[in-house]
Amino acid sequence: MTDLTMHLTTDEIELWAQGLLPAARALHLADCSLCRVEADRERKVILELVQLPTFAPQPGFADRVMAKVKVHTPSGDWQS
Amino acid sequence: MVRDRALAEDLAQETFIKVLNGIKSYRPEFKFSSWIFKIANNAAIDHLRRKSIDTLSLDGSPTAETPEQMRSTSLQVGDRAESPLDQALSRELGTAIERAIARLRPEYRSCILLRHVEGFSYEEIAETLDLPLGTVKTYIHRARNELRGYLEDRRD
Repeated sequence: MTDLTMHLTTDEIELWAQGLLPAARALHLADCSLCRVEADRERKVILELVQLPTFAPQPGFADRVMAKVKVHTPSGDWQS
Repeated sequence: MVRDRALAEDLAQETFIKVLNGIKSYRPEFKFSSWIFKIANNAAIDHLRRKSIDTLSLDGSPTAETPEQMRSTSLQVGDRAESPLDQALSRELGTAIERAIARLRPEYRSCILLRHVEGFSYEEIAETLDLPLGTVKTYIHRARNELRGYLEDRRD
């Protein structure tokens, strides 16, 4: 059983940032200003990371890839 | 990972060509997506190593286990502060978090992006990058600490 006075580990802070911290450990977080400061700093970084933009490839990407893929022909040869 | 959309697309193209040309070497006991990410990660790391001077972490070897080892393997530079010109250039190169990620060593960058952008579990990252689980956790914790440091330096 976890000691309620123990500070949160980095794994537990990550769980908290994801809303997955067990209730017993959340009790410690509510009472511990050190852990709250640490958890808030960690959450800010994680939030910035998950908000990074993602990009789709430019049109024609698949065609450009397939133009360089070697295709195995029925005769056993490879062709580009 | 490489902070350049055109370059990222070139590396993605290279990745899919390797995947399709090497499909016979895929082993089905591994997740197909992990295999693709592994090839993509290798392509990105190869590229970053070729121009590694501007991607090195200042905080020592990624394999360092103790503060002493991290200190003894860290780079020594005179001044981490950016000049006004550097700051102006940096502003044109994306958000603060993107610039902070660019300062991470490639191994940390792969782990943190797979974890928090792609949503991989620690186990999936370990399998994808061929790293022990403990190493993946260490890299992610160090990467987040470095990112926090860079972002908080910028806010000060």
